[in-house]
Amino acid sequence: MSNDIWSVAELEQGKLKNISLQLASKAAQLAQASGGRATAIALGAGAQAAATALVGTGVAKVLYSDDSVYDTYLAQPATDALAELIRAEAPLAVLIPATNVGRDIAGRLAARLGLGIEYNVTAAEFVDGALAMVVPAFGGQLNVSVAFAGEGTKLILARQNAFQITRSDATATLVALPAPAAPAQGAKVSGPFGIEGITAEGHMSTEGGHAQYVPPPSRANVEEAAIIVSGGRGVGSAENFAMIDALAKALGGVVGASRPVTDDGWLPHRHHIGQTGRTVKPEVYIACGISGAIQHQAGMQTSRSIIAINKDKDAPIFTFSDLGIVGDLTVIVPELTRLVEARKTH
Amino acid sequence: MRIVVCMKETPSTEVSKSLGTDQRLVRNPTETIQNPFDEYTIEEGIRQFEQHGGEVIVLTMSPAQTDTAVRRALAMGVDRGVVVSDPALAGSDAVATGRVLAAALTKIGYDMALFGQASADAYGGVVPSIVAEFLGVPLLSFATKLEVAGTTVKIQRQAEVGYTVAEAPLPALVSIAKGINNSPRYPSMKGIVNAKKKPVETWTLADLGIAAGTVGTAAARERVTGSQAVSTQRRREIHVGNEGAAQRILDYLIEQKII
Repeated sequence: MSNDIWSVAELEQGKLKNISLQLASKAAQLAQASGGRATAIALGAGAQAAATALVGTGVAKVLYSDDSVYDTYLAQPATDALAELIRAEAPLAVLIPATNVGRDIAGRLAARLGLGIEYNVTAAEFVDGALAMVVPAFGGQLNVSVAFAGEGTKLILARQNAFQITRSDATATLVALPAPAAPAQGAKVSGPFGIEGITAEGHMSTEGGHAQYVPPPSRANVEEAAIIVSGGRGVGSAENFAMIDALAKALGGVVGASRPVTDDGWLPHRHHIGQTGRTVKPEVYIACGISGAIQHQAGMQTSRSIIAINKDKDAPIFTFSDLGIVGDLTVIVPELTRLVEARKTH
Repeated sequence: MRIVVCMKETPSTEVSKSLGTDQRLVRNPTETIQNPFDEYTIEEGIRQFEQHGGEVIVLTMSPAQTDTAVRRALAMGVDRGVVVSDPALAGSDAVATGRVLAAALTKIGYDMALFGQASADAYGGVVPSIVAEFLGVPLLSFATKLEVAGTTVKIQRQAEVGYTVAEAPLPALVSIAKGINNSPRYPSMKGIVNAKKKPVETWTLADLGIAAGTVGTAAARERVTGSQAVSTQRRREIHVGNEGAAQRILDYLIEQKII
């Protein structure tokens, strides 16, 4: 086995996702410690353009393929390509995004090649020559230290925002990969990419039989946001999410939610932040009417700053907030929106 | 069509949990619940069965000796249950779990097997793809909508924003995302009574032809080396009342160079 560290990039609709740069940066850093080389791998539409962006992270090599087979079938072609490469070159570890796409690829690789797999990894370092990792457990109440047992390449499913993006002037080799054949029994992408409610602005929807506030796509991607305005049951209704969205818009942020809100359908599920939803690490997280259950805390506790607005002075969220406001969000949120807007105009 | 729903009992998140001296979860059988994700999966299995006929079966691998979660699924409308239980399974990792479920699915025989997108305790979300790989069949993952027509299953697959449409020939596996919003039914009184009469088979590793050494703690490729409570060190400044609250937040955002 070599001492090389690989990272797998993720592209969505031809666009390189941020986590790809985070994992490539981490691979470069780990490879320095292991005395190996770092390689990033990008597969699918946009991979060639993505390869150039990956070079700046400090990896020594980028393997890429723009072949359409990767976007035509789910997970299987990427598994075939990666399995072939891992068999041939036996890297020490492969960092894979802990996303829907990454979980499918990592699971198949682990089963096919008999490899160990750690998931939801938030830290990884070499300690006494061995990879030591951290994964959150029990809704983020515990950080569990884990290590691999046995031989073989180690698969690490790393969480979004666990690692910093680093910049390097080092040059890297770009290598185009041949594409595997289409799988005989494949899960095939057969329809166009769809999106609910394509509008520039948020709106109410009654699809699904209940009232739902649908923020625009530009304020829906919580995982890569620097500013998140998030609402809980305390917001009061789906309609009231318009004021949460208005503050997000004024701040140039996105809209988040706790689980009861998405479970009740007040917002689409993609806004759910927490242990079973998305994990976020924004510069500031503004929690409105969120009590702060451990499952929610698990998804946002590494935010740089946390501001909480809640009527209940005993809400658990105040125990892990930088600034806590005991008050009525339906008064404070619109007023804050006005203040932010006013500041922008002069 | 024969539909198998794979489910898992997980520790209740309402009770405090800790790791034992063997670095494994301290389990108390009275504290396990049906994995919250599985309700949507069981509901979808029953709906597909109601639409297409055939049979719907629930499969679980459980170190706990309770069958509460299986009985609940039967009360919801599932026909029968299979529990794989063996002392040698304790400490199994995701690959071993996938190996066992794949063997059990082969023994049961299936046209479509459904999984929850992940379990609420570990949230690995890799077992469906591991099972798919062992069985050599397609996996349609993170489905928010599911339709079977003839020998093809078609889903809407959850993406970052929006969805993609994907399809696969049967037999296939499907993992169900919580966003499916299919309003899982509550077991009726009649359902609960009927559930007691429905068959639940218990299989051991020997029944599946799996050697004990290939699963469990000894075969696990990952190990826990320690744990640490998470400290959340925050400023914890508190402002009470609506008066001046918005201004305080604005000032704080400026102090933090956020705006």
